[in-house]
Amino acid sequence: MDLAPERRIKMKTSQILFSLSLFWIVSPSWSQMPVPLSDSFQAENNKSGLPKPPHRSTIDKTLEAASQKLRSKVESDRVGAAKLLGKYTIRNSSLLLIGSLNDSSSLVRRAVLVSLVEHYNSGQIIYEPALVEKIYSRLGDPDVEVRREVSALIPRLVPGLLQSGMEKFEINGRIVYRSRPGKLRPDLEELTQAAFLDPDSVVRQNLLRNHFSLRVQIPPATMVKLLQDQDSRVLLVALDQVRIYARFPGINNAVEQLAKHEVFGVRAKVAQTAGNLSRSYPDYRDVLRVFLKDKDTGLAAQSAIELARLGERLSAENINMILDYLLSVQGLDDFSQKIFDGLSALGSDATKIYGALTEHPSGRLRAIAWQRFLIQSRGWLDATSWMPALTDRNPEVRELVLATVRGRISKIEEGELGILIDSKYPEVRVFAAESFLLADIKVVESRYMDLLIDEDGLVRSVTLRSLAKRRVPGWMKVHILSLLDSNYAIQRAAMDGLLSDAKVGVPALLDFVRAHPTVAISSLARQELERLGFRP
Amino acid sequence: MKNFLCLLLCPLCVAFAENEPVEWISSSDLASVRVMQLRRDGGSRIRYPDALPSLLELMNEQARVAFDPDPLFIESLIDERLFENPILYINCDELPNFDFSVEENGALRRYLTLGGFLYLDAGIKASFLGNDSGHSYAAWEEREEVKNWFAQLFPENFFSPLPRNHEIFRTFYKGLPDNEFLRLEKDQKRLPDTVLTFVEQEKWPQATYSFVGMKVNGRLACVASPICAMGWGRDEFGAWVPPISFRIRESAEDFDETLRLASFEGKTYEVTREDGLKDVIYTIPGKRPLWVREPTGRWRIFKYYSGEEISDYAHSFYARLGMNVFLYALLN
Repeated sequence: MDLAPERRIKMKTSQILFSLSLFWIVSPSWSQMPVPLSDSFQAENNKSGLPKPPHRSTIDKTLEAASQKLRSKVESDRVGAAKLLGKYTIRNSSLLLIGSLNDSSSLVRRAVLVSLVEHYNSGQIIYEPALVEKIYSRLGDPDVEVRREVSALIPRLVPGLLQSGMEKFEINGRIVYRSRPGKLRPDLEELTQAAFLDPDSVVRQNLLRNHFSLRVQIPPATMVKLLQDQDSRVLLVALDQVRIYARFPGINNAVEQLAKHEVFGVRAKVAQTAGNLSRSYPDYRDVLRVFLKDKDTGLAAQSAIELARLGERLSAENINMILDYLLSVQGLDDFSQKIFDGLSALGSDATKIYGALTEHPSGRLRAIAWQRFLIQSRGWLDATSWMPALTDRNPEVRELVLATVRGRISKIEEGELGILIDSKYPEVRVFAAESFLLADIKVVESRYMDLLIDEDGLVRSVTLRSLAKRRVPGWMKVHILSLLDSNYAIQRAAMDGLLSDAKVGVPALLDFVRAHPTVAISSLARQELERLGFRP
Repeated sequence: MKNFLCLLLCPLCVAFAENEPVEWISSSDLASVRVMQLRRDGGSRIRYPDALPSLLELMNEQARVAFDPDPLFIESLIDERLFENPILYINCDELPNFDFSVEENGALRRYLTLGGFLYLDAGIKASFLGNDSGHSYAAWEEREEVKNWFAQLFPENFFSPLPRNHEIFRTFYKGLPDNEFLRLEKDQKRLPDTVLTFVEQEKWPQATYSFVGMKVNGRLACVASPICAMGWGRDEFGAWVPPISFRIRESAEDFDETLRLASFEGKTYEVTREDGLKDVIYTIPGKRPLWVREPTGRWRIFKYYSGEEISDYAHSFYARLGMNVFLYALLN
């Protein structure tokens, strides 16, 4: 490690320590009220009657004792004090901890950093640039755990590190004001650049992740090295950041090399990154093409879909590969859902895949495949293409298919209607009742009784409505009789049907209301008849 | 694979069928097992949406079983699909309350009696955590709401701690995540030594955790644990989400005296330990717990460690634990 910046940092930190001690001396004594004693310490849920805790000290005294221990020659005393100070998230405690960042013991420095992180997490944020720079300077600490803690703390340090403002100087007795730019001090930037290639991969990935917020640019050669890192977690972070450097020399090549990485997660990230970059940088499409031969069919399928989205026509082999992948999944998870959703990019080629997926073991996948298949192939025009879905064991499939064809079919044949009527699923029989509107009147006449005696009330009421619409011979009699059904929905359907026929239906309803004033539907029927100008 | 799965499912089918054959609505879709998750309020309180799907997928990858990675969400325990699927998962922190109707309680009782398995995640929750649902803490008794709920379901049964040597902790994975998760470079580990030592010896010894369970007809039918779902989620690249930090108990030579006297303004809570004794946790409202007085008289301070390496390790553990629970449920 380059020690020059380290020495510069030590000089700076000694200045800071001096100003810190000055601050400590001149600052007003801590005005924290003494902590209430005794009862407040008893457990809220303390059912066992714990003995009262001993007389506790005040925060001032606790901090004072800790500050003395921080100066102890015994390492464990200093460690204990640093740990304890983490629990007092107040400024004086933070200052004491920062003052111990240069401790000769790495255990103490670790404890100090962990406690400072605790302060930050508890909302005790430090903004003074000198103090924050001192914390950040420990990025050059010889102890790896200290460096890890500092590098992980970067997002919290940034507001203090990058403060811009004015600085006051005296040059030859003259006061000069100069703007202070919101960027890292040069020696700290040098330290940061060195830390990109820190021996510890956790530090490397933390730096890589946060370098943008530090307003530091990574030299292309360093970025290439990071894209060749041995640690897959570093690679994942580097791929996250690669967009900024995508057009720099060597980056494309490094990304392409990663397309053959042994770790699945890295390859998946490369595939996603290449897909995104391909829209701005066509060179990255080559990376996607590498994936078409990937041993993981999911990744290969994802890349193929991505290429299709970019306008490339896929070969039959690749289309089959996508199909094989989707047939092999257990159900739709996020990854396979994305591939499934991307099938529309294949245009007419997708129809074949949707069709094959209607046989998939996963009910949900079958349902969506059926829906897409019918929409893409305009399958409602041919009953033989959607009828098989209505025998599917999964209700989601049947409901989605019915929702897709409902209102779109224009004609239904006797045989097809018979299959619907004989279905064991009530929603299919309801659809059969609706389909009476589209079938030949003679077919309706011959089959409606099957549905009028259905065990499901909805089937019966929908049948009644269809009969009224089609004016099937004998419908009036059926409706009049149905007014006495025990099911109110059926009574209502019968009433609506009769109201639609002013010549015979309305008089029949009037007679019914007069004859059966206490039947449930009679009340509503009276209102409807009055609305039409009749006096029941 | 299909044969393997059928073999796995057979005992369960028999268990359901022997008691009340008409109740067993056999799923003809034997290609995959669907795990049910109870979600009230239309799923508006979901904390870890990636968790269960990721875990199911992980089990398919690693244990070569066939779970449908898409959980079946039910809003009520009287959902007829309850009896079609053998495993029900509930994240207790996602429930708006524990008010279940008489019909729901009846259905659940029958479900568990007929061979169903219920996993109550966050069914253990130390009282000091309050409404904070992002923390896991190894208390050794079920939360009060669960206790009251099950007193209505099975007044004759009770939850008891699962011993560390219980099969559920080693159904598939045995032991803590191995060196693959820890190795960084040749002689360097991802986790600080202090953290690793505490985890191995105290936090999760032999990859066990604080679980309580209830037996129904001699079979472990329900288990409850501190929240584990936070450790199951993976993004599409296999990276774990969301980040998890570690709470470690640390000591120093003089802490018994220092912490006893140190300034403190807050409340204390008792939490049951594995041995039945009580830890006293010192807390300040709105902040993480400060320190603990253990029954031995020893005082230790809580320190919090975060970072991707720590989070990855925690995730690996929770995912292994979760897999063990679901595979145990499938096999038993």
